[in-house]
Amino acid sequence: MKLREIIETLQATVVVNGHDQEMEVKRGCGSDLMSDVLHRLKPNALLLTGLTTPQSVYTAEMADLSVVCYVRGKTPDAEAVRLAEERGLVLLCTTLPLFESCGRLYAKGLRGDSEI
Amino acid sequence: MTKTLKEIAGALQLTVSTQKDLLPSRTVTGGYVGDLLSDVLAHARKGQVWVTLQTHANIVAVASTKEICGIIVVNGRTPEAATLQKAEQEQIPILVSPLSSYEVVARLWELGVTNREGV
Amino acid sequence: MKDGDVKGTIQATPTQEMIYEVRVHQAMTKQVITVAPEDTMEDVGRVLEENRHTGMPVVKWQKMVGIVSVRDLMRCYREGRSLQPVEQWMSRDVATLYADEPLVHAVQKFERRGFGRFPVIDRKTRTLVGILTKVDIIRCLLQHLEIDYHDLEKRQYVPRKWFLELDSDRTTLSLWFHVDGANFEKAGEVSSKLKRNLQTLGLPPDAIRRIAIACFEAEVNLVIYTNGGELAAHVEPGRVTVNVVDHGPGIPDVERAMQPGYSTAPDWVRELGFGAGMGLPNIKNCSNEMKLESKVGEGTNLQFSVLT
Repeated sequence: MKLREIIETLQATVVVNGHDQEMEVKRGCGSDLMSDVLHRLKPNALLLTGLTTPQSVYTAEMADLSVVCYVRGKTPDAEAVRLAEERGLVLLCTTLPLFESCGRLYAKGLRGDSEI
Repeated sequence: MTKTLKEIAGALQLTVSTQKDLLPSRTVTGGYVGDLLSDVLAHARKGQVWVTLQTHANIVAVASTKEICGIIVVNGRTPEAATLQKAEQEQIPILVSPLSSYEVVARLWELGVTNREGV
Repeated sequence: MKDGDVKGTIQATPTQEMIYEVRVHQAMTKQVITVAPEDTMEDVGRVLEENRHTGMPVVKWQKMVGIVSVRDLMRCYREGRSLQPVEQWMSRDVATLYADEPLVHAVQKFERRGFGRFPVIDRKTRTLVGILTKVDIIRCLLQHLEIDYHDLEKRQYVPRKWFLELDSDRTTLSLWFHVDGANFEKAGEVSSKLKRNLQTLGLPPDAIRRIAIACFEAEVNLVIYTNGGELAAHVEPGRVTVNVVDHGPGIPDVERAMQPGYSTAPDWVRELGFGAGMGLPNIKNCSNEMKLESKVGEGTNLQFSVLT
């Protein structure tokens, strides 16, 4: 799914690095616990999370995830934004809850780990 | 079109860890997914089914406080013994899915379980 | 950049460098259509039309003696002298390029002389070896840029084998880091640095991901449970071994600690996205080999290796 479609589906705002709207994201994953995200080894995914600390960005970096979207109307910490900027990671924000975010994206075709 | 926890368990092929008898009577009014207890306490609503990765006993306390109808633990994780014990005390059913939270929520959404009030 | 706009040393872009490095002979067309001085202008007309050129070198005994263009042809026809030999109408003042000149000279000459093409001659033998047009320059540069781009991609995944060229029975490159146990906000900084270093070394991305994830979990553990420690990554051909040492409280039951879901983390850690008891199992999952030794009151020594 393209970044553009993700932003549309979640009615998201771009925090940083969202200029390549045609960028393809292969999978979706949603979690507040970073070890859960680190357990999966498949790269190129969208991470939906309510964890706004720098560790959410470090996690995306280590696991080679390309986009992090903060849910529940939360915004990332300043340090998280700075790290993402440096590393070229895309950060988005949505007011939608994690539940609805996952539901909508899956309905639009963004699959999870076990299917791709 | 509300579903019972039993129907959800069947549709998603969930394993029941505890409180199997309560499933038919629990109506699912919506869904919530999250692992930060502070967020769950702030946003989850009565009658929702809570999808989480957490397995320690605190989840039962939170579920009880928010009158959540049941907990679905994801990634095939096993709830701790202390958690199951507490769940029995508080009468909170705990179910397990081998799928990720993203995929469990996706299936719930497809079944019509949303998180909006009255929907 | 405007003329005269020089600010200290200028860093040339790859394209700019290319114009200085690539030679005329690399861009020129080697098949040159030519005429002899004794050919008629009518012959010239026919050849130019067939080949859709606008000019041709005039060559005698493989040496360039002049150049004849469509303009010369038109003048000739106007005067009704199309049967005259080429040498009467050609231009003897020919601007040429040497085969070994850098393309930048060609670009400069095109600008100065306003011609459409330049014959290219060999500096030593003075024979005609090709012809260069502006289109040839563009085509050549584009080709070179494409080659560079593919090279860059391949180089990313080919390890920099310089340390293999060192003569020894075994060579390793070690990277040492200190992890600050007091600062949770910075948890991940060391793993991030290590990851970038491994990328610089050109290791396969899949292996780097595993190493980085395992290091991150180890680093977070250090910050949660200890007051800091040392992380060392030893890189050698085919494998990276990571050692994480701390002098913290130690792990009382290592076997239990390895079980997924088992956690002794305080609640505040869970609110920061960790402490779900998956750290050590994740490290095991990512690595090919893992060894965990710990003594209560003394500290912990974790070692894992990932095949590259």
